[in-house]
Amino acid sequence: MIMNVEVSSPPPRALIVEDETLIAEELKERLSRLGFSVIAAVDTADEGIAIATREHPDLVLMDIRLRGKKDGVQAAKEIRARVDVPIVYLTAHSDRLTVERAKVTDYDGFLLKPFQRHELQMTIEVAMKRRAIRAKKKNEQ
Amino acid sequence: MSTPAVSPEFFKPSPFTNRLVYVIAIGSVVVVGPFLLWPALGVKLFGSNDYLPHVFCYLRRPALVWTHVAADSLIGLAYLAISVTLVYLVYKARRDIPFHWIFLAFGLFIIACGGTHFMEVVTIWKPVYVFSAAVKIFTALVSLMTAVVLPFNVPTILTLARRAKASEQVTATLRASEERKEALLREVHHRVKNNLAVICSLFYLQSMHTKDEETVQIFRDMENRVHSMALVHESLYRSENLARIDFAEYAQALAKDILASHGSPGPSAQLKSDLEPIVMGADLAVPCGLILNELISNAFKHGFPGSAGGEIRLTLRRGTDGKYSLFVEDSGVGIPADLDVNQSKSLGLRLVRSLTQQIRGSFDFVKTDSGTSARLQFTVNDHER
Repeated sequence: MIMNVEVSSPPPRALIVEDETLIAEELKERLSRLGFSVIAAVDTADEGIAIATREHPDLVLMDIRLRGKKDGVQAAKEIRARVDVPIVYLTAHSDRLTVERAKVTDYDGFLLKPFQRHELQMTIEVAMKRRAIRAKKKNEQ
Repeated sequence: MSTPAVSPEFFKPSPFTNRLVYVIAIGSVVVVGPFLLWPALGVKLFGSNDYLPHVFCYLRRPALVWTHVAADSLIGLAYLAISVTLVYLVYKARRDIPFHWIFLAFGLFIIACGGTHFMEVVTIWKPVYVFSAAVKIFTALVSLMTAVVLPFNVPTILTLARRAKASEQVTATLRASEERKEALLREVHHRVKNNLAVICSLFYLQSMHTKDEETVQIFRDMENRVHSMALVHESLYRSENLARIDFAEYAQALAKDILASHGSPGPSAQLKSDLEPIVMGADLAVPCGLILNELISNAFKHGFPGSAGGEIRLTLRRGTDGKYSLFVEDSGVGIPADLDVNQSKSLGLRLVRSLTQQIRGSFDFVKTDSGTSARLQFTVNDHER
């Protein structure tokens, strides 16, 4: 377990939005080893937006290519407009256009598939830290 | 003092210079010939009396005289500049411009027109009307010649214009087709990469269902091998031509990934790399990447036993014979004295042997004073670059 979670506090909650079920399974496994509780793994943007809005997770892992009309960038944009949650993109798309589109959503991490074991852990740690800094600044204001 | 060497080709006349010499020679004969044959021609042409036309024609008004002088001079100069530009254009693009003689005819026509304007200026003070008439006759002949010849060439010019239009359309179609092909190739690389990611997930999930450390390591090795292949497709996906990658960049990224994946807990190693740029296709990059993966992983696993760290050096050089040498050197304990690379039953070395054979390369291990040096030699064919 790498997350600094106090024994008494509940584990951080993560939402996976990924259309490849096997990759989603791997992510579930890896996240639970990192101390997360996975609230859901869905494969469409609309489901992701609905669950993120309702559940306010502590982390969203977002694939860019999803089932349905909306893609991960659109989903991240909508989620960000409703909830302040760290969003980590996890995609096999690394072309300039996709990265430029993703930048607009002010994401907290970008991982290319297939990722290495250490990469996921490091990216999530940085994303959570960014979110904590953001929340602190907001409170100070 | 030495004289700079001039290529003999410099003195070899080109067809264009030959033609130019003929034109100048004929022109000189046409211009000078009549004066030689008829010496009194000069007096006839340039002979004048003290008659000052501007006194009458321009109403003795200096402003009117100078307006005419300025306007005619400017027109003459503009005509001259246009002619020079046309001649320069024909000279520079004589192989690409169809009907370049039409351009020359226009040039001559314009320069002759310019000449008549210059004569308008001269005759204000010097009434050389015979010479002025000669210039006008020459202009008339050149104009008539151009006017007569041009209509006969209109059908050919129109055909050329239509062909140019058709060529533009073909170019646009080709460009669209190229863009579709590029999008399709990008999609293929994306899907391959995604499928390789799924394979990595499968290895990971399977490794989670065993408690045997050796089995877990086997799955981890397999995951790294698949990852090295996926990284080639990642590089292809991001490359401009979607067919070749910069292997130096790829090797650097792969080595960093392998080192990070072998990170804590375990020995830490510093990576140093000195890689010459080299571009290659996927056919060569995938086996080279797999070999590199084995060599770096091997250096990690066996070079630094216990918690001892060290250094891994990655070098890629092109030899004078055109062959590339990829060195993976470590500062570890060195290879066992009895290790026979060609007979070893280790899967890693078997893969290195097979893949080296596939790329028609050669491979050897050398124990050095500071550790071990593994060298892979291979050739990149021109069509693969």
